[in-house]
Amino acid sequence: MSDFDQIIVGEEWENTDLSLLETLDHVLNRGLVIAGEITIAVADVDLIFVGLNVLVSSVETANEVIRKRPANE
Amino acid sequence: MAELAYYVYCIAESAAAAQLPVESLPAAIEDDSKLEWISVNTLAALASKVPRAAYSEENLAEQLTDATWTAIRAMRHETVVEFVAKRATVIPLRFGTIYLERGGVEQMLTEKSRELESIIQQLRGREEWGVNVYYDRAVLLSSIISVSPVLRDLVQKAEQAPPGQSYLMQKKIEALKVDEARAAVNRIVDEIEQALKSQTDDARRLRILKVETTDHGELKAKFAFLVKRSAFEEFRDAAERLAQEHQSAGVRLELTGPWPIYNFCAG
Repeated sequence: MSDFDQIIVGEEWENTDLSLLETLDHVLNRGLVIAGEITIAVADVDLIFVGLNVLVSSVETANEVIRKRPANE
Repeated sequence: MAELAYYVYCIAESAAAAQLPVESLPAAIEDDSKLEWISVNTLAALASKVPRAAYSEENLAEQLTDATWTAIRAMRHETVVEFVAKRATVIPLRFGTIYLERGGVEQMLTEKSRELESIIQQLRGREEWGVNVYYDRAVLLSSIISVSPVLRDLVQKAEQAPPGQSYLMQKKIEALKVDEARAAVNRIVDEIEQALKSQTDDARRLRILKVETTDHGELKAKFAFLVKRSAFEEFRDAAERLAQEHQSAGVRLELTGPWPIYNFCAG
């Protein structure tokens, strides 16, 4: 499948920084918004994401984050 | 003992929650805490205790500027939701949904029960798949003459025209190539959207964050599709056909998933 990349989330995890960024995008920008008693302002999320992108582009730090992702499967 | 709050990850049906004892679940967002199901009638929220001080509105804004802190917690949130999504129908909540008391979570489940139950019905047996469309500008520009009838026509005329006129036409062709390439890639993206939409239950075009750069070329569009598990093979085949069809134009498709259903749970 040379022209068709498939990232199976959670399985080919360590192979790609992209899926880390994709995952962070999902968690931070999507999902049902239920007004909790404490919530993050949507306006802040964009700023957070810029910082995360810098982090992800540093492979070393990204690996550290992935290592700290608990293995459970 | 520090004051605590409840961080909520996702919502599932109580019957499904009963099949997923907390001992079998992944680690919570904070090291020294365990996940717990908070159940009211047919619905159950998956939550864990967090220190109220760190997660208070003002401190949280500060913490979140620490990218490593945020990334680790976002990943734990995702790990928890993914684990449950593999085993039950689940509504993922956005990162950072926090209640001060257990009673606040129970009240939310009670007040929103009808809406939450109806979302769960819509999501049952389905998964979310992401499709990213990239294109390689150089490949697209070099292939655009064969794709665009207007350009093909102009190139033919330029070949037959006298040298002076041909030179001017060449200039025009170069400028037109850029416009036509842009139009072509937009057309291809629309076509991909329509083709895949017809295979799925729902589709969303997602915004592209400015910060995204990749080795695959320029990210042109990002979609999320709600796909029945039983229809996934057909969806993947359709995506693969589209990828092959548009490869010569420098367009690449990337399929990601299965994701917990983040983009189709707005009710």
